[in-house]
Amino acid sequence: MLTKLLKHEFRATARIMGPLYLILLAAALAANLTAGLLDADSFILNIVSALIVMAWFVAVIGVFIVAFILMLQRFYKNLLGDEGYLMFTLPVSVHQHVWSKLIVSAVWFILTGVVVVLSVLVLAFNVSFLTDLAEVFPKLFEQLNAYYAFNGTAFMLEGLILLFAGCMTFSLQFYAALAVGHSFPNHKMALSVVFYFVFQFAMQILGAFLILALDEGPLYQLLMRLDFHIDGAAAVHFAMWILIALTALYGAVFYFVTALTLKKRLNLE
Amino acid sequence: MKWQFNADAPIWSQLIAQIKVGIVTGAFPPGERLPSVRDLAAEAGVNPNTMQRALTELERDGLVYSQRTAGRFVTEDQSMIASAKRSLAESHIQTFLRAMAHLGYDREEILTLLRQEKIEEGEEHGSSGV
Amino acid sequence: MAVLECKDLTKHYGAAPALDHVDLAVEPGRIVGLLGPNGSGKTTLIKLANGLLTPSAGEVLVCGAAPGKETHAAVSYLPERTAIPTWMSVKQLMDFYGDFYSDFRRDAATEMLAHLNIPLTQRIKQMSKGTREKVQLIMVMSRAAKLYLLDEPIGGVDPATRDYILSTIITNYNPEAAVIISTHLIADVEKVLDEVIFINQGRVVLQSSVDEIREEKGMSVDALFREVFKC
Repeated sequence: MLTKLLKHEFRATARIMGPLYLILLAAALAANLTAGLLDADSFILNIVSALIVMAWFVAVIGVFIVAFILMLQRFYKNLLGDEGYLMFTLPVSVHQHVWSKLIVSAVWFILTGVVVVLSVLVLAFNVSFLTDLAEVFPKLFEQLNAYYAFNGTAFMLEGLILLFAGCMTFSLQFYAALAVGHSFPNHKMALSVVFYFVFQFAMQILGAFLILALDEGPLYQLLMRLDFHIDGAAAVHFAMWILIALTALYGAVFYFVTALTLKKRLNLE
Repeated sequence: MKWQFNADAPIWSQLIAQIKVGIVTGAFPPGERLPSVRDLAAEAGVNPNTMQRALTELERDGLVYSQRTAGRFVTEDQSMIASAKRSLAESHIQTFLRAMAHLGYDREEILTLLRQEKIEEGEEHGSSGV
Repeated sequence: MAVLECKDLTKHYGAAPALDHVDLAVEPGRIVGLLGPNGSGKTTLIKLANGLLTPSAGEVLVCGAAPGKETHAAVSYLPERTAIPTWMSVKQLMDFYGDFYSDFRRDAATEMLAHLNIPLTQRIKQMSKGTREKVQLIMVMSRAAKLYLLDEPIGGVDPATRDYILSTIITNYNPEAAVIISTHLIADVEKVLDEVIFINQGRVVLQSSVDEIREEKGMSVDALFREVFKC
C-alpha cells in the first residue's frame, strides 16, 4: 500500500514541480543563448540578457520555495484538511501515510537541488566547459583516493544518505508541529506555528544538555576510555555516520510525535 | 407508475395496494414479468426489503407468482384480477362511507347525493364533449 | 454477526460528552437511519466507527474488529464534507479508488457517471458543489463494502439531487451489507429505511424498525421524530 500512496503522492506533486523544473531549465537555456549577446553594443540586448539571467535566478529561488511550501501543504491539506476524511479512511496505516509524505518531499528537495545544478550547467554550457568538467571529476576522485585512500563513491553515498535524512528530519519537525497544532479544536494553524518553535526550543535545550554531558559527564569519560585506532579517511566516514545517526535520531523523535498524534488525537474539522 | 405514500400506514401495505392498482388498471398486464425487486424499489423510492415484503404478500394472495429463475410474473387468472379489483373498490367505498358517516349522512342521503353527482357529471361530460 | 456494534461507547470533547454510553448493533442487509437534531452526536458516532476519533470509553466494532486499516477496507464512508481531492480528474479519482479498494467496481462507477453525463476528463475543481457531491457518492456506492456510512448524504442538495442520491443507494443495495444514513431530513429518507436510531444529546433514545413505528404508533417516523424531539 505504501507504493500506491507514493504513486498518488508523486502524481499530486509532480504536476506542480514538473512544470517548474521545465521553466527553470528553459530560463537557464535562454540565459545561455543570450549570454553571447552580453558584450554586444546594443543597450537593449544587454538589458534583455540581464533580465533573463535575473529570471533564471528568481526561478531558482522560486523552485526551492515551492518545494518547501508543497511539503507543508501536502501534509496539512491532504491529511489534516477535508481530504483527511478520505485519506485516513483508506486501508492504510498512519505510518504509511507519514512515510509517503516524507519520502516524496525528500525526493523533491533533492531533485530540486539536482535540477538547479543542472540548470547552472545549462547556463554555463559550452563545448569546452563540458569537456573540462568531464576531465575534472574523475581527476578529483583519483586525487582524493591517492592522497587519503579516500573512497569517493562511499563518501558520495554517505553524503546522499545524510542529505536524505536531513531533508526528512527537516520535514518531520514541520509535520509534528502541524499534527500537534491541528489536534486542538481551534486556532489550529496558529498553534502549529507555536509548536514548531516550542519543538525547536526543546531540541536546543536537549542539545545543550547533550553537549554538557559530553563535556564533563560520564559519557565523556566513557568516550575517552575507548581507544579509537582510525586514520583520517576512516574518521571522516565515522563522522559522517555519527551525523547521519544524530539526524535520524532528531527526526525519529518528531516521527513518533507525528504518528502518535495522528493516531490518537486526530481531530479533523 | 406513480407511487405515493401517506404518513400513517406501513409502507409495505401501501405498496401492496398500489401494485394491486397497477395490476387491475393494466400498468402491470396479466402474465407480464415484473421488474426486479431492486428496480421496483428504486422506482418507488422505497427500501428493497419493504418491496420484497410487499411482493411476498402479493405472491401469497396469488396475484403474482414467481418462477425460480425467470423472476416474478403477474397472474393470468382473470377472475383473480377481477376479485382484486372488486376488493379495491370495496375498500374505497368503505373509506368513503366512513367519511360520509363522519359528516353525518345516512345511507339514503348518500345515495341521493351520489345520484345527483352522477347527473351533474353526465351533464358536464355532455357539454364538454361538443 | 453485527456489521457495526457499539458497546458503552462514550466520547468526550473536553468535559462535554458528545456520545454518552451508546449501545447498539446493526445487522447486515439493513438500511438504517441515524436520526437526530444537529449536534446530537451522529457525526461523532460515524467518525468513531471510521477510526477518525478515538473513544473516550467503551468500544466500537466494525465486523467484529476495532477501527483500523483492516476495517477501512470493509467500510465505505461518505463524509459530511467533500473530501475528494479537487485537483484530480474523474478518471484519476477512479484510479485512486481502484488502487486502494479492491472492492471498487469501476464499471459500476463508469456507468453511473455516464448516466449523469459527467466526462471522465473533467476535474473535480471545475464542478458545481452538487456535482462534486454526486461524484463522491458514486465513488462510495461503487464499492462492494460490508458497511456504508453515509454522513448527511442529502444535506445541502436540491430535491432532484436528493432523489438521485436515494435511488443510487437503493439500486446499489446489497443484502450482505448494511447502510447507515445520518440525517435530520427524515421525511425524505423514511421510505428508504428498514430501521431508525434516534439519537439525542449523545444518547440513543430509540432503535426500532420503520414498520413497527407505523404499525404500532400509527404515525410516520417523521411525525414520531417531531414528537420525541419537541422543543
